[in-house]
Amino acid sequence: MNRWRYLLGKIGWAVFTILFVLVLNFFLFRVLPGDAARAGIRDPRLKKEAIEAIRVRFGLDKPVINCFESLNPVKFGSCGVNPLDTQFFIYVKNLLHGEMGISFHSNRPVADILVERLWNTILLIGAGQVLSVLVGVIFGVFAAWKARTKIDYGSLIISLVAWSLPTFWLGIILLFWGSNNGLPIGGMQTPGMSSQPFFVRAGDILSHMFLPTLTYTIVYMGEYMLIMRSSLLDVLSEDYILTAKAKGLNTFQILKDHALKNAMLPLVTVIAINLGFTMAGAVQIESVFSWPGLGGAIYEAVNRRDFPVLQGAFLLIAIGVIAANLLADLTYSYLDPRVQSE
Amino acid sequence: MKRILALAMTIAFLLAACGPSGGGGGTVRIGWAGSPDTLNVGAAVLTEAYTIFELVYDSIYELNLDGSFSLALAESVERSDDGLVYTYKLHKGVEFSDGKPLTAKDVKFTYDFYKAHEDFPYLNAYTAYIESTEAPDDYTVVVTLSEAIPNIESQLVYMYVLPEHIWAQYAEGAAATEFENVEMIGSGPFQMVEYKPNEFVHLKANKSHFLQPPKVDEVIFQTFESQDVLVQALKSGQVDMITEMPATAVESLKSDPNIKVVTGAPFAPGVSDIIFNQVSAENCPTDAGGLCTGHPALQDRNVRLALSHATDKQKLVDVILLGYGALGTTLIPDGLGMWYNNTIKDYSFDVAEANRILDEAGYKDSDGDGVREMPDGSRPLTFRLQWPSDSIDAPRMAEMLAEMWKEVGVATEPSAVDPDALTAACCPAFDFDIILWGWGSDPDPSLLLGVMTSAEISTGSSESGYSNPEYDALYDQQSTELDLQKRIAIVHQMQQIVFDDVVYIIPYYEQAIQAYRVDRFSGWLTDFPKVELSDTSSLVVIEAVK
Repeated sequence: MNRWRYLLGKIGWAVFTILFVLVLNFFLFRVLPGDAARAGIRDPRLKKEAIEAIRVRFGLDKPVINCFESLNPVKFGSCGVNPLDTQFFIYVKNLLHGEMGISFHSNRPVADILVERLWNTILLIGAGQVLSVLVGVIFGVFAAWKARTKIDYGSLIISLVAWSLPTFWLGIILLFWGSNNGLPIGGMQTPGMSSQPFFVRAGDILSHMFLPTLTYTIVYMGEYMLIMRSSLLDVLSEDYILTAKAKGLNTFQILKDHALKNAMLPLVTVIAINLGFTMAGAVQIESVFSWPGLGGAIYEAVNRRDFPVLQGAFLLIAIGVIAANLLADLTYSYLDPRVQSE
Repeated sequence: MKRILALAMTIAFLLAACGPSGGGGGTVRIGWAGSPDTLNVGAAVLTEAYTIFELVYDSIYELNLDGSFSLALAESVERSDDGLVYTYKLHKGVEFSDGKPLTAKDVKFTYDFYKAHEDFPYLNAYTAYIESTEAPDDYTVVVTLSEAIPNIESQLVYMYVLPEHIWAQYAEGAAATEFENVEMIGSGPFQMVEYKPNEFVHLKANKSHFLQPPKVDEVIFQTFESQDVLVQALKSGQVDMITEMPATAVESLKSDPNIKVVTGAPFAPGVSDIIFNQVSAENCPTDAGGLCTGHPALQDRNVRLALSHATDKQKLVDVILLGYGALGTTLIPDGLGMWYNNTIKDYSFDVAEANRILDEAGYKDSDGDGVREMPDGSRPLTFRLQWPSDSIDAPRMAEMLAEMWKEVGVATEPSAVDPDALTAACCPAFDFDIILWGWGSDPDPSLLLGVMTSAEISTGSSESGYSNPEYDALYDQQSTELDLQKRIAIVHQMQQIVFDDVVYIIPYYEQAIQAYRVDRFSGWLTDFPKVELSDTSSLVVIEAVK
């Protein structure tokens, strides 16, 4: 019973947060200065009539919401307009129909763009996360187990250095190294591969993934290692570990059955938060290696005041972060039974 | 880790062995730092999109590397005596990539289509003078103009002819811009194979093109996010040519025997400008949102002239562009060839002269803080100096200008501003003092000359707020002057006027820097006044190196 109430509470909170993001998303971008119809176009060929026609095409000629013609510069308007004739309620209505609109920049449906980009990002981040967690946890356990030995200090230094490396800089260094060793340094596939058999294409994508994934792994494994090490050290100093030792269990059994599960808690939090944020946060890696991911799409969209893409992408990221947190909460309740009884 | 690396290397090696590059003519891989915004011809804005259109479509005229125009789809043209009616005879036997013939009906459909859609950002503007287009038979196109204009070529050159049988169903409303056109059925020297937005554009040769059958088999444009990565991709042989690169990399590439660097005026010549807000109170476009908060001193020619004398353009070119640029005089860049007035003698870099001018005009530093004040002492000559935050060159230029102008008692408040916010502040709001920005030019000078006319103050195209009835009259005159020599004379005179009035300081015209691998393809056109290796002209003549 408790468990269900805990679950429902968490899910309810998640839904509320998403609704809040929905509303915030809309207004956040409209308070930016600049005209979406002119953004990215600065050319005398773009006539006044064309700007007006583009505004009409994108519905930017309608009031933002009742009482407001526009938010930057703030222009008040009639409060009596039909709400369904304002940008905000059209946006809400379309979302309810599952439509995210048409990109101002590429004139493509936002959903198409985001799905395309999201898969690319998930591929990169997924591989990077799995590798960095694996490497980080193994190093962390090893270091905690061999605490205050040369192995511990050695891996501590490596992790600290790796964690503090600027992602962008590390990416460039690896890019130079990779290009001299025949590795692809840009994009996620060799053009012209679409007619090749599946395994050749998969191999092609893997070779393109190598450098960006390596960069990601190096940067994040340090963080995971440090957290794993310190939380495991905490647990290892607990009395029940001493008891376990006294019972005559060997180190492996102590780690596996008594220490690891408890020491995982802080790591799960960090992994969950990272998962959510790296969906957008891989911008640097994506831009060094020209990876066509979500981060790059957001960066472009901000520059071009591409509201529909921004709204869609931010919604997606919000859902990602919230889902990852929800997952972390649920994992908690599994790892630590005390959580659900609170 | 080693094992993963070994695996990846094996895969890469396998790929190199079974990749698509094997055919007779070969595949040219071009690296660029952009990607088309859309393949929809009407909706496109970015240069990258136009580069692809240029290869996949044909139009009535084409633009040559020396800046001249020649007939492409049309084999002959006749102009009526009043200059209003142009009759084009089309080449026979031209086919679209789906096998259907290209006829005069397609041309008529296309021109009507561009004219009907006011929301096409660029192409609609080129139809401004077209009254009607008729197709009396399959190979005759009659274009009737509303006014006799001297530059019909530059109006029609970008009006790519689309297949009516594909586009007719998207001709109305929002479909016209939402149609993604990924198959790109066109008649040009290259045809679409595959397009991945922000990744690559893969084209194959149309070996039976009526005018320019390419020698290579395929062309691939691959997107890299930065110019530095482009250089690395060229060095390591992952691409055969790059369309842009930082000037700082030129020296390192020149030492590579397999790479040749090419520099020159860009195909679409660019101009960088230092914009003075000189809009007067009576010209302030308040109806269009004009705020007109510019520093009053900038309305005084003496101040603008003094700043010109205080600006060491040669130093700007040497430091910012490492010498890869030409010294500027007016908005019309040297890359426009005959339209460029090369007789203008630039203001000398002379700090003493600048100080003398300001002293005589009454701008004195009365409180001794190193900054001059207005003649009435009301406010110091401290100018807001802004630039778009996405500019690579502007921060350094701002820093150097601040140093140079300090020597003549002028202070600056530099700041980088988000490009859209800057557009909003710029024009027609005129809520700035000085902005560092730039323009890309059309092949015809009319476009950039128009920027300085009074009529554009309220539209947002005029960034200076300059207004001169004599200049406006000359502008109208040149836009209908049919005699080429007379028109050139007027265009030159207009440049002299805006130079004398110091409407802008034009620091330089930046050069294009491109590079290619000599061990892959030969025959790139590098000996022309303009450089554009990704233009059709080069891509149809290059050959694989055996």
